[in-house]
Formats: sequence, structure tokens, C-alpha cells
Amino acid sequence: MNFKTLLMGATCAVGLALSPLSALAQNAGGNLVYLVQPEPPSLASFLSTSGPIGLVAPKIYDGLFEYDNDLQIVPSLAESYEVSDDGKTITFTLREGVQWHDGAPFTSADVQFTVMEVLKQVHPRGPNSFREVTSIDTPDDYTAVFNLANPAPYMLRALSSYESPMVPKHLLEGTDLRASDLATNPVGTGPFTFVEWRKGQYVRLDRNENYWKPGEPLLERVVGRFIPDASTRTAALENGEVMYGAYGAIPNIDAVRLREQDGFSVTTDGYSMINPMALIEFNTTKPPFDNPAMRRAVSLVMDRQFLIDNIWFGYGKPATSALSSSFDKVGLYKAGLPNYPANGDLEAAIKQLDDAGILPDANGVRANVTLDLIPYGEDWRRAGEYMKQAMKPLGIEVELRYEDVPTWLNRIYAEYDFEMNVNFFYQLPDPVLGVHRHYGTDQIRQGTHFVNASRYSNPELDALLAAGAQEPDPIKRGEIYGEIQTILANDMPVANLFEMEFLTVYNDKLVNHATSALGAYGSFSEASITE
Amino acid sequence: MQFWRLFSRNRSAVMGMFILIAIFLMAISAPLFFPADPFSLAGQSMSPPGANGFLLGSDSLGRDVAAGIAHGAKTSLLIGLLATLVAVFVGVIMGALAGYYGGVIDNLLMRTTEMFQTIPSFLFAILLVAIMKPSIESIVIAIAVVSWPAVARLVRGEFLSLRNREFVQACHTLGMGDVRIMLGEILPNCLSPIIVIGSLMVATAILIESGLAFLGLGDPNIMSWGFQIGAGRTLLRSAWWVCTFPGIAILLTVLAINLVGEGLNDALNPRLRDRS
Repeated sequence: MNFKTLLMGATCAVGLALSPLSALAQNAGGNLVYLVQPEPPSLASFLSTSGPIGLVAPKIYDGLFEYDNDLQIVPSLAESYEVSDDGKTITFTLREGVQWHDGAPFTSADVQFTVMEVLKQVHPRGPNSFREVTSIDTPDDYTAVFNLANPAPYMLRALSSYESPMVPKHLLEGTDLRASDLATNPVGTGPFTFVEWRKGQYVRLDRNENYWKPGEPLLERVVGRFIPDASTRTAALENGEVMYGAYGAIPNIDAVRLREQDGFSVTTDGYSMINPMALIEFNTTKPPFDNPAMRRAVSLVMDRQFLIDNIWFGYGKPATSALSSSFDKVGLYKAGLPNYPANGDLEAAIKQLDDAGILPDANGVRANVTLDLIPYGEDWRRAGEYMKQAMKPLGIEVELRYEDVPTWLNRIYAEYDFEMNVNFFYQLPDPVLGVHRHYGTDQIRQGTHFVNASRYSNPELDALLAAGAQEPDPIKRGEIYGEIQTILANDMPVANLFEMEFLTVYNDKLVNHATSALGAYGSFSEASITE
Repeated sequence: MQFWRLFSRNRSAVMGMFILIAIFLMAISAPLFFPADPFSLAGQSMSPPGANGFLLGSDSLGRDVAAGIAHGAKTSLLIGLLATLVAVFVGVIMGALAGYYGGVIDNLLMRTTEMFQTIPSFLFAILLVAIMKPSIESIVIAIAVVSWPAVARLVRGEFLSLRNREFVQACHTLGMGDVRIMLGEILPNCLSPIIVIGSLMVATAILIESGLAFLGLGDPNIMSWGFQIGAGRTLLRSAWWVCTFPGIAILLTVLAINLVGEGLNDALNPRLRDRS
């Protein structure tokens, strides 16, 4: 049976390779065919942060800002901004002469409507990003004044086209946002206009002739292809039918093979906005992981480099703190913390347990635990199998549990019926947006996914998190986050494993596609195809 | 010894039996030759066969493929036999009741059997394991649930044809109870087809187990051949040995069981006795 499956896969690959769309990628005029995996549920990026929406919608919508690869602000719909001395008023000066794809002018009323009526209401992360915004004044068409209850410096990192797309007030006002026609027929101000979405096949976008950036976009047309089978996607890239695949569309094992071939490249650029982190969540409310020594011991024994080398084919960086080292660019990351050895330290882990009085029984067993695994594919199973072996010499006997996605989500985030759980989180461009949700007492939200399931609660840390969120001075803010990371390295409610590196695999004919921190979630407006 | 004479007339059946015995020995002796946990990270990952002390190579985490095959043999045989025993047990009871009593009971039981038979068995097994947590027990139950209807139908047919024979009527006249007639008189007379179908079911059960493990629905804490193939599938283009050897192991085992089953059929089926 297994052999038959293989044969069928090969037949499909050959069949698709011969389909007529292959011609599109060859055009000198610059038509880009890229992989969108999986097919998005809608194109309503103002309603959902689902990954594949991000692969398409930011080509159609603009944000107030973009961010370069060092996470520095680049003007987009907002030409400039000014923060008042107390940090509670932010004034944006908007670009003049920008038009929606239907010809209507873009004004400050659109900004006010988008933030107050759309993002703050129906966007998954918007209520958090804009939680301090109490009102937005529009003294004229090209000025938007954000009034904040408290300073919110992190908000300036959440204004990209992916995170906070500006949507047209004249098409959305007074309609049911969740049932909007814009979900399948989007109208934005971005470099490409929506043309057609053929379900199960592709979504096609054409150049916006009235785009506000002079000379851009360079590409004539952008087509996102949906190909469900991984080996067929790889084959499509290899034979030139598509030119670009990001966010794991091409499996790592194929990526490392293509890297060696002429005409293809692999990059990890374009993910600094996302900051994915692989980690273990511990249930801190019941034995054995209510004891911080147990949690530290598990973190100590993990050979993070082994996981990266053997399961993720060398792509990733061992974690060294609660924050990703990419926050070093903004001065928030603290290096040199204890309990994060890159290659695992069995002796230190054993000492940790011995000192805490957690001693082995006659069979050398200190604890029996169940390890839940995120059901997102084979890599995570391999990781679990490795961890089980790694914890054995420590006297921790592990049983692995691998369930389907809804059961697993329910077990971890609603029932809290787990001991330790392997998972990954997006840390996003600011800790307030992506990291606080792990640790804050106010983030123990039963039934909400991807928040504080460890149910770790520490008033001292809560105070520091609140202070860190509001501190406008970068130096002081860095000090606060330094303290936060020191506490977390010791308490270890979550043991970070490694900073994941997603791979973008592309045909060398495609250039300038990773010019912003958003990468595949960006606009492609500077990308072009050379012959 | 007449049985052995008839069985050994089928050369391939004898060969199958020897392969099967070898696999049994391998399963029993696995802890002797490979005392370590087959999941243990034994050394350099992705070693080709023969290199770094790995007879059949190692997988992406440096686990010994040979150790996996030896320990996996136990899993495959155990699940195959257990699932078959459960399925035969349930199937015989259902079939015997239906065939012996006929009428309403027969109707009721056979409609139930048909309901099970209309569902594609592998998909049904996937569904059952996905609903229960993947573990040895749930896999045995799932395989048994999809396998018993065939036994039930076979046993019913045998009982139907035997229940009106003279010797059964003689038992009735002697005042024997129904249970005693079913177990003591009719069942022994239809044992041979049950043995043959049972032996073939072991092979099917091993295949279903491997298929489930390949799809990631095996017990994650137990080594099995299907798991090895599933885990090595992505490496096929760079490390062929990780799934090739377990694949050969499944092929040989299933082939051997089928050959033995064929041999048993030859030896036990009176109509085939004079076939040469």
C-alpha cells in the first residue's frame, strides 16, 4: 500500500507539471507565480491573522508603516509621525493623493474607521495592539491624532500592512464586517489590485497603475498558486512553474537539496517580524512541574543544537532567554542567562534535581510524566521522541501523546489537562504583542488559545510587564525587560527551545523579494524577475 | 502426521513457515541482541548500512534501524495475533448464533455484520484509532472491529449447513443443550476454514497496523515497522535505508503468513487433499 501511495504522488507531480500555468512564470514582463500554502479561508486580513491570508492580502492593502529587515520604521501610508512628550498622543501625517483601487481618495477618516471600528473590534490581535487608544481625532484629511490612555510604544511596531491593514471606510461603514464582500473581493491601496480568485487553483493580482510609490510595483502580475501536496510543490518549484515558496511550503529536507542546485536559493530573511520560537510549556499548578527545579532541569538537559541539526536540518538558533535574540536590535534582549545551555548539560540538570530533593527511586526514576506534542507534523513528533530519550538519564520517564488539533487545543488551553507541552509561538516584533501572553496573570484566559496555559502567576513579574509595556524610554525599557528575563530564566514556566527559522526557497531569477521585515507577508512591490 | 505430510507437499508453505519461525525468533531474541531501547539515540544520524557500527544504518535521530526492525517484529506479531484472536472470538460467537438459531436472530446479526462490511475497513480503522487515543489497545480493538464480520459470515455459513445434519439431530434426540451442541459438535467440524481465514487475517492485521503507524496513528511509545517507514518517508531521497529495510520486513512477514495460510488450506480442506 505504501508503495502505491508513492507511485500516485509521482503521477500527480508529473500531471501538474504539464499544466498551462507554467508559461506564466517564464514571461519577461515580470509575472510572478508563487506558492500560497494552504489556500486561505478568505482574504479578510482585518478579520483573521491566519497565515495564508498574510501571503496574499498585504499585496492588496497598505499599512501606516512598513519595517525594514532591522525592524526600523519605513513610512508607508503615514509619511511621518510625532509622539508627544508624555507619550499619550501620537500624530500621524498621512500621504496625500493616495487612491483606493476603486478610485476613492484615502483620508484620515479611513484611518480612524479602520483602527476604532475594525481592528479594535474584530481583529484577533488588534484589541491588544490598540488597547490604549481611546479615540482618534481627524483635524484635516491628512492628519490622524491617536489619543492614548497610557504610553504604548509597542503600538508603533504593529502598523504594517500584515498586522494592521488600512481598509476603506466607504465600502465597510454600516455593513456587517464579518460578512463583508471585501473578504473575497478586497479593495485596498496596495501595489496590486485583486482580479480573480479561482477556488482550489490560484488567486490573481494585477499591477496597480495608480500606486503612490513612483515606479512601483515592478511586476506586471502576481499569481498565488494553491498546491496541497508537498512533493508536488517542490516539483513545481524545481521545474520553474512557480518561483517562490515561503513558510514551509517547501519542506526543509527539499530546501537543503535545492540549495545545492544551480538556479535556486534558500533564505531565512523576511521573518524577523514573526519571530517564531519553539518551546515547552509546563503546567505549573500540579506535580511534578509545580517545582521550578524540575522545569529548570528539563531546560538544562535539552540539547537544543541536536534538535536543530537533526530535525530542522540546521535551520534555527538555540534559545537563550524568554526573548528571542532578535530583540537585541531594539535593546530588549538579555544575553548570558543561566539554564539555557545550547548543547544540554546533564550533570547540571541532575544536580538541580538532587539539590531540590527530587531523588530517584529504586529503579532510577524520579518522575513519570506525559509529554504532549503540537500536532503540526512529523518534525514535532521527532522532537518529542528526542526529548523522551534526553530526559531518561535524568530519571524522568516520558510518555508521548499525539492527538488531533482540536483535542490538543482543548486539552492544553481549556481543560489544562497536561504536564508538559511542546509548542511554538510567534513572538512578533514587540514582547507586548507576542511574549506577554505567556506569562501575565491576566493572560490566564481559560479557553483562549496560545496564551498563559502554564498558569504561571507572579505579582512581581506582572508589575514589570505592565511597566515594560508603557515605558517610552528605550534604555529604561531594556532594563525592565532584562529583569523580566532574569526572573523567567530562574522560574522557567516556559522553557524556550530554539528560535525557529522558516525557509523561503526561490528561483534565482526573482530578485528583491525580501526587502522588508515582513518577507512573504509583505507587498512584493520592489520584487522583479530578471532573465 | 497426515497433516504434516499434506502441508509439506506445498513447498512454498514450508518456506513460509521457516521465514515465520525466523521472524518469531527475531522478535523473541530482540532484547538479547539489541538490549537498548530501540528509540535510543545510538550514534551518528543518517549513517548508511554498515557504517558507524549500524548493520542496517541509522535514521535522522541516530536510531538503529536494525534494532527497530527486531523490536518492531514483536509489535507487529503481537498486534497481528491479538487482533486476530479478538476478531475470531467475536466473529465465531456472532456467526454461530446466527447460523444455529436462524430466523430473527440471524437477521439481526447479519444486518449488523453487513453494516460493518459496507464501511471501507482501513478508513474505519483510522477513524476508530483517531477517536480513541492511539495506543496498543486501541489499535488492536480497531483492527478487530474491522475484521470480525468476515469470520462471522464464514462461521454462519458453516453452522447453517451443519445444523441439519444427522449427527446434530442425533444430539438433539439425546437431549444435549444448544451450547454443548454448538461448541462440542458443530464448531470442531468447521475449525479448518476458521484456522485458514484466521491465519490470513494475521497478515491483514499486520498490514493495517503498519498503515496506521505510517500515517502517524501508531502508539508513539512503541517501535513498529510502520512507524519506521513513516518516519523515514521524508528521507527517501537522501537515506533510502531508513524505510527500505522495515518495508522488506513487512513484505517477508506478510508473504510468509499468506504462504502458510495457503498451506494450511491445502492440508485442512478435504476437497483439496488430492490436489497435486
